[in-house]
Formats: sequence, C-alpha cells, structure tokens
Amino acid sequence: MAETLVVAEGLGRVYPGAVPTVALEGVSFQFDAGEFAAIVGRSGSGKSTLLNMLGLLDTPTHGSLMLGGRDVSRIGSSERAALRNELIGFVFQYHHLLPEFSVRENVAMPALIAGRRLDADLTKRVDETLDVLGLSGLGGKGANDLSGGQKQRVAIARALMNRPPLVLADEPTGNLDTESTDAVYDLFRTVNREWGTSFLIVTHDQEIASMTDRIFEIADGKLSQDVRNEFARPTRSPSGDPARP
Amino acid sequence: MLPLKIAWRFVRSSWAQSALIIVGIAVGIAVQIFVGSLITSLQASLVKTTIGSSSHVTLTDPKDGQPVVYTERVQRLVTTTTGVKAVVPTRQVSTLYSNGTDRVPLTVKGGVLGELDRIYKLTPRTIAGTASLRPGEIMIGKDLAAKYALAPGDPLSLLTGSSRTTLRVSGVFDLGSSAANLRQAFSGPEFPRGLLGHRADQYTAIETQLTDPFLSKTVAAEWAAQLPTVKITNWQVENKDLLTALQSQSGSSYLIQVFVLVAVALGIASTLAVSAVQKSRQIGILKALGMADRRTGNIFFAEAMILGVTGTGLGVLTGYLLIAGFTAGTSRSPSSFPIVPEPGFIAISAAVGILVAVLSSLIPIRKTTRLDPIEVIQNG
Repeated sequence: MAETLVVAEGLGRVYPGAVPTVALEGVSFQFDAGEFAAIVGRSGSGKSTLLNMLGLLDTPTHGSLMLGGRDVSRIGSSERAALRNELIGFVFQYHHLLPEFSVRENVAMPALIAGRRLDADLTKRVDETLDVLGLSGLGGKGANDLSGGQKQRVAIARALMNRPPLVLADEPTGNLDTESTDAVYDLFRTVNREWGTSFLIVTHDQEIASMTDRIFEIADGKLSQDVRNEFARPTRSPSGDPARP
Repeated sequence: MLPLKIAWRFVRSSWAQSALIIVGIAVGIAVQIFVGSLITSLQASLVKTTIGSSSHVTLTDPKDGQPVVYTERVQRLVTTTTGVKAVVPTRQVSTLYSNGTDRVPLTVKGGVLGELDRIYKLTPRTIAGTASLRPGEIMIGKDLAAKYALAPGDPLSLLTGSSRTTLRVSGVFDLGSSAANLRQAFSGPEFPRGLLGHRADQYTAIETQLTDPFLSKTVAAEWAAQLPTVKITNWQVENKDLLTALQSQSGSSYLIQVFVLVAVALGIASTLAVSAVQKSRQIGILKALGMADRRTGNIFFAEAMILGVTGTGLGVLTGYLLIAGFTAGTSRSPSSFPIVPEPGFIAISAAVGILVAVLSSLIPIRKTTRLDPIEVIQNG
C-alpha cells in the first residue's frame, strides 16, 4: 500500500481585510506517494492558493495539513523553509532561474541551501541530472544564455535536485510551445514512474490534465471534484517514448 | 557561506552600481581620516608652539616677590608624580638693558643650562655663538641681538635698581617668538640669586612640563592638595582662549566627520535598498527553494560588509595618500606642520565605516526577511 504523502482536512484560507476574502474553503483530500495528478479550475478559483499551501509558501487559516506524516498547519517560517527544501520541488510557469549563477549552480541551489558544498560529488550529480534532462554540456553556461525551453528544463532539474517526494508545478508549460510542452510532460511522467516522485500539476491545459492519473477541480475555493482518470494517456506525443531519468 | 557567495554575485552583477558606492564610501572615509588627522595635527602643532617651551604647571609663593622654597618634600612630590617629564627650578629678575643711549626691559631667567634645556631647549635653539651659562655669561634672543647689533662675545650691561652688572653674551637663541626673543634672556643661577638674595633652596618658581600637557589641571589640583602653602598655576587656566579655540576646532571637526559618515550611511542604505528591490525576484526564488528568511537577510548583511570593507579599505589608502600629498605639497612652507596619521584614529574610522555599512543594511534586511515569495512567483 502506497505511503500517504498529503492529508488535507477542511483546509481553508481567508485573506483579512475590510471585506475578508475566502480563497479556499473546506478542502479535504488524501494524496499518496507516487501519484500523478492535476489541479484544474478557472482563474481565481483558488487552485494556486491550494498549491501555495501544499508547498508551504502559505499557511492555512482553517483546517489542518499533514505533509510526509507531519502536521505542518501551524509551523514557523524557518521550519517551513527547511521542509520546503527537503520535501518539495517547485516548477513555475516562468522558469525563475537566478541570472547571477551558472546553469550548474542554479540546479545545485536547493542542495547548497541544504548546506552542501558544490564539490566533485555534487557537481557529478548535477551533471547527471542535466544529462537526463537533455542539457548535457550546458552546466557552465549562464542561466540567461539558454532558450526558453532549455530554461524550463533547468528549472525542472533544480526542482528534482534534492530528490523531493513531491513536485508541485504551477502552469509549468504555460509559456512553452507544443513540442516543449510534450517534452516537459514526458519528463514528469518518466520521473514519476522511475523515481516514484509524486506530481501535482496546476494547469489550464485540458490535454495535460487528461494525461494525469487524478484530477482535482477547484471551483469558488472549494474542491468540487476529485476524480480518478481511468483513461489517462501516458503521453500525447506520437512516439510516446519518454527519456529515462 | 552561501549568503556571502550570493551577495558577491549580486555585487558583481551590478558592478557599476557597486563601484559607485564603494567609491562613495572610500571618499567619505578618506575625508574622515584626512580632516581628523589634519585637525589633530594642527592642534598638536598649536599646543607645541604655544606651550612647548613654557612651564605647564608652575609652583610659586602665594605672596608676590617672595621665593618658593624647594624643600625635599616638594622635590620628592614633583619629581615622582606620574607624567612629569621635566622639573626646572628657576630664578627670574627684571632688568633694564642699557647700551648708553637706550634702555629696554629684559627679563633674565637664571638656571642650570642642562635643566633649562629640558623646557626651553636653548642648546638646539642656539643660532650664534655657543649655548653656555657659566658665571658671567648670558644668552640673548635673536631680536634683541639684531636690534642692538649684539654678537657673541659682546658685553651686555644690565641695570637692576641702582646697580649695574655687565655680562658677556655667550650665544644667541631663537625661541620662535619675537616677543620672547626681544625681552627674555638666560643666565646661570648665580646672577639672579645674587640680586634676589635667595638661599640655595629658594627660587622664583619651580617650572615643570608634563608628557600630556592636558593633564596640567589634574596634576595642579593634586599638588595643591598636598602643598597648601604653595601657589600652583597651570597653563590651561592661563591660556583659556587657546583652549576654547582648540575645543571649538575639535567640535567643528567632529561635526564634519559626523556629516560625512551620515552621507556615507545614506549612500550605502540607498544602494542596498535599491539592490533589495532589484533582487527581490531572486530572494523570492531562494525562499521558495527553502532558504530561511534570516539567511536571505544575511545576503544583504554580507553585501553591506563587502561594500563597507572594500570602500573603507580604499578610503584608508586614499586618506594616507591625501595626507602624504598634503605634507609633500606644504613641506616648503615655513608655517607648515606635519600631518601625523594616528593608527588608533584610523582604526576607529575604519571600524565606524564598516559599522555604518552594517547598520545601513538593516532596512534592506528587514525588507528582505519580510518578502513573501508568493508575490514574486505569481508576478513572474
């Protein structure tokens, strides 16, 4: 039986103000290690708020959240930062690479934040990750010297650097062309299958959503649907043979 | 180490901005060091010129014209007090120099040459003849010698009351003050003693000099407490105007230095504040990747240290160069004085420069630690 990774119980987020805004309300679900799921919903529905809370970037005002067996609902910012570094890999719509650093340093950054040094071992591991993502030989380049698709793949390599059990992706293909979108999806699928990494992907792209195993739909801050996708296609690319990590 | 590495990359990536603020800090610290050293050296020069060749604390009898008795007790007290570098018992008589047609007042101070040298430095200041105060000899100032065409070896006729004494000029000195060079003369101890009728332990005054002239008030008070029958005066009381001028000068110097430091602080603070805004995206990403709030703040602390230490180092170097340039440029002027950079003052200036840099980083550090990574991530 798969290990439970996320348990949300009546999760809610209200932003204070003259008129308090309810961004999320009463969201409950369980998410197991190795799952590959999509979060869908209209703009402003609350899906990014949910992702931010699962990513420990935001704290719930209601309900509880268990991550990796720990109650993370009310922990302090330093503890959240440490858990974020250990348990979660982020992939954003925009690559968000650090332009002051090389590709290799960008990929190594989560490990450096965890206290490791960029020694021979870490460099080897970074280069192996870059190889898997089809970025061989680009480690020494500046982050700004790459194409848009390459940058997003570097961002994925960075998200996978600490081998986190959960990758949260917020519109990861929103800025990419069809070919790059397919490549990113294939990579996610391969990593999920080979490494057992769980993926939660916020997307507007129905095609992408239809290729995941489980779909959460958020509407007006509530979890309106949580369905298993029995018909999930492993890939939409005709060749259908993703690279192995 | 990671915050330092990131800070270094931030400094490098905005090199023009970083170079400008480093130059700004360097100029501020250089001005601080130059102005501080200039004022300190100017004051030291003024003090040396004014009281370098005079008594700092003087012991006399409370009644005018009465001699002070240089008892063993007095001698033990003044010679064993910490900070006393010279003790010179002197006898002084007021005379008239008469050259047949003219009569001018001349104060003759009598003492042992070796002792007088410790305050008045007669031997190194002898510009004609020899420094000698054997019985029957007198040393006169260069203005008196020039005015009355007196040279070493010439007789000098002095009137004291109804008697006339003739001494031989052994040497001509230059005390650096035309008034002293015209009105002051020195003889051996016998000449004034004979005129004043003093016993061997009686003197007009016991003159002393201190290693630190500004301790004269303290030393005078200490001696006054132990010698209630002796009148004790000090140069700080007798030169109040000079002291006020020195204090005003110090005050204006401190004010200049404070304003320079405020300008440096504002420069660093504004640069770091701009940097914090420019790099907010990177900070947000680092936070999202798991860097704790405090560590992201350390990035700007490290950046302030890099800018502060580099700018201060460059400023100290520039300050030394300015001092060397000023000294070289004014060395030929007769009224020039050397600017001596004091290591202690420079160390304090450097420490203050770095401290100002660190304090200036507090605002960006606060801003950074409070930055919400969600804002950065959602705004792309």
